[in-house]
Amino acid sequence: MLKLIGAALLLFAGTMAGFAQSLALARRPRQIRELIQALQRLETEIAYGMTPLAEALASAGRPLSEPVARIFRGAADRLLGPGQLTAEACWQQAVEESWAGTALREAEREVLRQLAYSLGVSDREDQRQHLKLAVAQLQAEETEAAEQNRRFGSMWKSLGVLAGALLVVLMY
Amino acid sequence: MLESITAVLPPPLRSALTRLPAQTAALVEEVRIREGRPLEIYLAEDSSFVTPTGVLTSSAEAAYRPTRDDCRILLDLLTEHSVYTREEELKKGYLAMAGGHRVGLAGRAVVEQGKVKLLRDIAGFNLRIAREWKGAAEAILPYLLEEGGAGVHSTLLLSPPQQGKTTVIRDLARLLSSGGGPAGVSRRLAPLKVAVVDERSEIAACVRGVPTFDVGPRTDVLDGCPKAEGMMMMIRSLSPHVLIADEIGRPEDAEAVLEAAHAGIRVVLTAHAGSLEDAKRRPVLRRLLEDGAFARTLLLRRTRGAPTAAAIYGRDGRRLDPAGAASPAGMSGAAGGGGARC
Repeated sequence: MLKLIGAALLLFAGTMAGFAQSLALARRPRQIRELIQALQRLETEIAYGMTPLAEALASAGRPLSEPVARIFRGAADRLLGPGQLTAEACWQQAVEESWAGTALREAEREVLRQLAYSLGVSDREDQRQHLKLAVAQLQAEETEAAEQNRRFGSMWKSLGVLAGALLVVLMY
Repeated sequence: MLESITAVLPPPLRSALTRLPAQTAALVEEVRIREGRPLEIYLAEDSSFVTPTGVLTSSAEAAYRPTRDDCRILLDLLTEHSVYTREEELKKGYLAMAGGHRVGLAGRAVVEQGKVKLLRDIAGFNLRIAREWKGAAEAILPYLLEEGGAGVHSTLLLSPPQQGKTTVIRDLARLLSSGGGPAGVSRRLAPLKVAVVDERSEIAACVRGVPTFDVGPRTDVLDGCPKAEGMMMMIRSLSPHVLIADEIGRPEDAEAVLEAAHAGIRVVLTAHAGSLEDAKRRPVLRRLLEDGAFARTLLLRRTRGAPTAAAIYGRDGRRLDPAGAASPAGMSGAAGGGGARC
């Protein structure tokens, strides 16, 4: 009896692990798309609205869903805070702080890290160039992430169930 | 006063400047930050270098040398992390700070079609500390008053940089708009409507349109507006008796000044020049002086820290004060007598 319960638990765990992997794969392209949208909004705020950076970041991040919204909100809060931090430090800290909750990978992190060095420190034209570059890089990542999701998304689900079944078989 | 600027300084500079002795800190007029070169401060006209621990020194070796990072952080903090919102100011080579302070900038100019589009790689900062000095213009005011005290003469204040022009003009705005006249002035001045065009936010140091310096109860300030355009706007819409602006010199400024003169509005303006002859060599000022736009031209000089009138000229360029007489009491009689024809 105990063995039967154990087997059921193993099968359940395997299935769940597979689903979790597949979900992470599906969340990544969605979050990259959100990042892209936010950066494009930031570009508009900076290039046409001449909005100060803190306000621009806050309004660019407002329509997003968690956890990507947290990056923008975190950076904006730090910029307005009393810490005397540079825009670069504020952005880096916000990215570090919110990163664990996202499904994003190292490639996206590198894009955001590069963006930190140019955020707010140059004229409008230059800001646009840097934001456009970041958006273009993220778009490439998004294509790749969507492709991975298409190819491996369902595979992970079945793999989870099958791995659970394999363990059950081995157990008996 | 130094506290208001230390907030924007990167940590090494802040720690050096906050350790200056209190008496020294109270006298600082300029803080000069140049990448890789010694940190310098100006106390009135004396220059000193500053060590990392806030000790004044004359040795360039012992002084703190701001790094590239210091300059980068300083620009970031000065612009509230948004350099792109300050492009117009960067083009003109300065940034206005809250509190009326101004930061002059040096760096690499980006030129487009022969005009400066922007400053990049900014490596030189001159933090000029604005100080409100009520009464700075009291000694000068008597020379500017019309006979009977009904109003004020159109006046041009001349001086080289850092002789207190802006301090004087700010206090003039306050005195003219308050009326009554300061202690020691026999003629009573009727309060006047004063309009200030404050292109660089130095005169009134407006925060969200409200002056933070006392510029008088009947003073309107047009903040951050180009002078020529601002003068025309104020003439048309605010019916001022007196129009005040700092550092004129562009051709379009002359048009606006003449427009004001023809509209019966008095102007009180400043310009950079070492003497009346210097001023006459500048095309815009020469045109205004030849047209007789100014009933008074004052040459300002700083003596023992206080701005005083070193020479006073009438509309025709004739000197009104007895040459060399520097005491205000001695000159006020001369100004009264000499001003009869204006």
